[in-house]
Amino acid sequence: MKSTSPGYTIIQSWLNSKQFKPFPFQEETWQYILNRESGLVNAPTGCGKTYAVFLAALMQFINDHPTSWQQQKNNGLQLLWITPLRALAKDICRAMEEAIASIGLNWKVGIRNGDTSTSERSKQKKNMPEVLIITPESLHLLLTQKGYPSFFTTLQIIAVDEWHELMGSKRGVQTELAIARIVLGRLNKKSTLIWGISATIGNLEEAKEVLLAPLKKQGVIIRAVINKPLEVHTIIPDEIEEYPWAGHLGIKLANKLIPIIEQSKTTLIFINTRGMSETWYQTLLTVAPQLAGAIALHHGSIEQELRLWVEEALHTEKLKAVVCTASLDLGVDFRPVDTVIQVGSPKGVARFLQRAGRSGHRPGATSKIYFLPTHSLELVEAAALKTAIEEQAIESKEPMLLCFDVLLQFLCTLAIGEGFIAQDLFEEIKLTHCFADLQQNEWQQILHHLTNGGNALQQYDEYKKVVVEDGVYRIQNKRIAMRHRMHIGTIVSDAMLKVKFMSGGYIGVIEEWFISRLEPGDAFTLAGRNLELVMIKDMQVMVKKSSAKKTIVPSWMGGRMSLSANLSEVLRNTFSKALTPDAGIELESLTSLFKLQAQLSFIPKENELLIEQIEGKDGFHLLVYPFEGRQVHEAMSAILAYRISQIKPMSFSISMNDYGFELLSDQPIPVDDSNAYDLFTQDHLLTDIQHSVNSTEMAKRKFRDIAVIGGLIFQGMPGEKTKARHLQSSASLLFKVFEEFDPSNILLRQAYQEVMAQQMDEVRLRQSLQRISQNKIMLSFPKKLTPLSFPIIVDGLNRNNLSSEKLEDRIKKMQQQLAGL
Amino acid sequence: MTAPLLHIVQQNRFWLSPNRAIFWEDEKALIVSDTHFGKTGHFRKHGIAVPPQVYQEDLQRFFTLIQAFKAEKIIIVGDFFHSVANEELKLFLKWRSDFLSIHFILVRGNHDILHNNWYADAAITVQDGVFTLNGFQFVHDPAVLAISNKSLFTFSGHIHPGIAMRGIAKQSLQFPCFYFTQQQCILPAFSKFSGLKIMKQKKATQVFVLNEGAVIPL
Repeated sequence: MKSTSPGYTIIQSWLNSKQFKPFPFQEETWQYILNRESGLVNAPTGCGKTYAVFLAALMQFINDHPTSWQQQKNNGLQLLWITPLRALAKDICRAMEEAIASIGLNWKVGIRNGDTSTSERSKQKKNMPEVLIITPESLHLLLTQKGYPSFFTTLQIIAVDEWHELMGSKRGVQTELAIARIVLGRLNKKSTLIWGISATIGNLEEAKEVLLAPLKKQGVIIRAVINKPLEVHTIIPDEIEEYPWAGHLGIKLANKLIPIIEQSKTTLIFINTRGMSETWYQTLLTVAPQLAGAIALHHGSIEQELRLWVEEALHTEKLKAVVCTASLDLGVDFRPVDTVIQVGSPKGVARFLQRAGRSGHRPGATSKIYFLPTHSLELVEAAALKTAIEEQAIESKEPMLLCFDVLLQFLCTLAIGEGFIAQDLFEEIKLTHCFADLQQNEWQQILHHLTNGGNALQQYDEYKKVVVEDGVYRIQNKRIAMRHRMHIGTIVSDAMLKVKFMSGGYIGVIEEWFISRLEPGDAFTLAGRNLELVMIKDMQVMVKKSSAKKTIVPSWMGGRMSLSANLSEVLRNTFSKALTPDAGIELESLTSLFKLQAQLSFIPKENELLIEQIEGKDGFHLLVYPFEGRQVHEAMSAILAYRISQIKPMSFSISMNDYGFELLSDQPIPVDDSNAYDLFTQDHLLTDIQHSVNSTEMAKRKFRDIAVIGGLIFQGMPGEKTKARHLQSSASLLFKVFEEFDPSNILLRQAYQEVMAQQMDEVRLRQSLQRISQNKIMLSFPKKLTPLSFPIIVDGLNRNNLSSEKLEDRIKKMQQQLAGL
Repeated sequence: MTAPLLHIVQQNRFWLSPNRAIFWEDEKALIVSDTHFGKTGHFRKHGIAVPPQVYQEDLQRFFTLIQAFKAEKIIIVGDFFHSVANEELKLFLKWRSDFLSIHFILVRGNHDILHNNWYADAAITVQDGVFTLNGFQFVHDPAVLAISNKSLFTFSGHIHPGIAMRGIAKQSLQFPCFYFTQQQCILPAFSKFSGLKIMKQKKATQVFVLNEGAVIPL
């Protein structure tokens, strides 16, 4: 087939004429696609993964039209290209168009996402381009169109780019549902192929299975074997004694970056949150004023035009360095970039590697990454990262299961478009990986929720959403349909306002809650500029340039992640090497800190669990260091707090980081040698999990996203002028109302299920407790805060509360405390 | 449920009920605020499936209070109904028609946008701005009045006041409350389908928090 097929020959000779030599993995992919197989291509960004699938679509077309392929136009949609990032679309589109023109086909490439104009959309509707590049959200929007099945009748291949980014999130579920609809809806006569494109993750096999589930086929995985050399350096503070024990910013080391930037061609500096990236940008300009004009800032809240300018300037080597966030994690390669700096913990091996891979894109070049710790103990993490990379301990992405919120949204989407027949759709949905275990009774509840809105007050109810007409579920109300269209998606963010100069020109967006705390005249920083708030008008923040020396840096919510399980295991092993002869440069530089820890308390070895109890002004601290990552600590701390609170009535405030957790109480915490081991028992684990989930607010936090995705909260669009004010409510209020009045509500139950599946995963907890049960528990009573405890107490995430005391008693106690002050 | 708590203002006897209302004994008047009747119906009509049982419970609590105190007047300091008319309001009207002797005075709030005829049919006297009775005044949004030591004692709503209590060991609790200053009282929102605005305790002369059926003075 390889030599005989005209498509293959034509594309090959075109590549030869361009002096492109295909990688073996590309040739392999083409062959599989021409054999009508589906599968997953595993390749890093920037080595021709787009061509691997895209060129095969062209070959197929040429094969199907061996004489007329150059003339044939308006062929209908051939290749649907799903990509998670809007920003990627344009570059992919450009690359595809160039190839198409150069080969001499009459194909069109279209983009459909939030930036696509209405006129362009309606043009596409009349006449679909051969290739459509689309986000999962826009794909769902397409399914709200009447007559959408006709778009897909000619479709040959569905390609899902950056599948590793989508899988494991609700956008992945959204993608699964849309693909199932297209593939199983018998929308076209020929069977459609599905191809995923993914960077390396721990569970590639599963990633392929999830994507291909509706085909009920095995499929193939094609791995690109491309070994790019990687250099990892750690930036070590000169005076470790003076480097902070806690913090997230690392700004003290800013001057260490200047020589790195100067010696490199172009440097990307990755910062973990948008707010901190603003601060870093300012600091670099202060430390090295000579860099003015040669460095730029790039994050998700900056106006798109400015971002595009930065990206363009990166391509054309106009910039020496760009301070950025995850906003530059994905996307096309910036060839001039030869160095990457990671500020603060990347929280996972995969992300660290991905970022490192953004540098050194010329053939034979080396990827170079520097790790800048933001507090002393992060040096241990640096050492752990190096080991994890050596061991290739790359994380898995766990696909999400039974997301009723996404399903409810999807059903409304279909109800707007063509409507759906319940039983047919049930069979279809069960063929997705996410909903394979969907039970008939759950399905009935979901339908009931859509049509009746739960248990109604009979004749006094006017619930209106989906109606059933001749067995077809439809949304007929135009306003409900319109509002639903505006809210399709699973990315939940706080209400955002656009920021605009009085003189015109947008700068970016900012969270409503941040700006609502400012008064006109206050100065804040956005996109690296100092701005003065003039007024808020029509849901826009009007500003002018500020000359104020002190400005407020906005903190955008979110952005803090848990250390992955892989990395935390390596971290635990690394930590136990402290103060041993061959600990490595990072740990050696921490010698003084470790000595202090050993002097005040203990340094836990691999088979030891350290528990510190410290009495302070603000109460009694119990600190436990399992080194299991924040996610496991959240669960374990809740269980421990629950178990202790059963000994006697107590209230706890719980805080955690990736190394350990803290229980803080206003009275002594009864943990000693007599009961320490029992507190970590695996007995009654499931009931204790349930009790502690119910008594902390974990489910309430999950409910926030669920309520938005499931259609209970309308966020409004940034800059939207009029809001449906009488329809506003908050997720926490809804949570309270459902808890009290409709505890069996399907979305409320999902919140608890998500906690159980993600935070309180019984299997993982059991493993951790099992490990701990073989450990020696080291109880210690330091007289002051230890280096290990400090970051948790000072800025661990203080997120959970648990109490077994009567509310009345707590009020009384607080009143007495207040009086005593 | 525990008993209401007596609070005396200018020799008048006010009973603070844990059910988010005040009974003014001297006038036999029940004072409530921000009942937002019909809110769940409004949401549901727009395709948002909130449980209507909230409204049912709010209504029952309202009727029970009126009967328990044998109130002759009801003073609502605004946001009696949440939005435009809907079927849920018929549940209120059905009850209303059986108890026509009770006098309803509504001090209009920003949510009270029903047609004037509607209120007339429901035998509700609507007062725009400020309503005055026997040396006390009633207004929806306290911010519209400059309340000074010289003004009449004022009852208002609109704000949905709440209090956050803090203790050592980073403990904190939040409750809806009756918020008293020298010359005014801000009532908690009556509806359970309503949020809280956390107030500064220092600026109050007296705060009563509502907790599990009890009124607790702070």
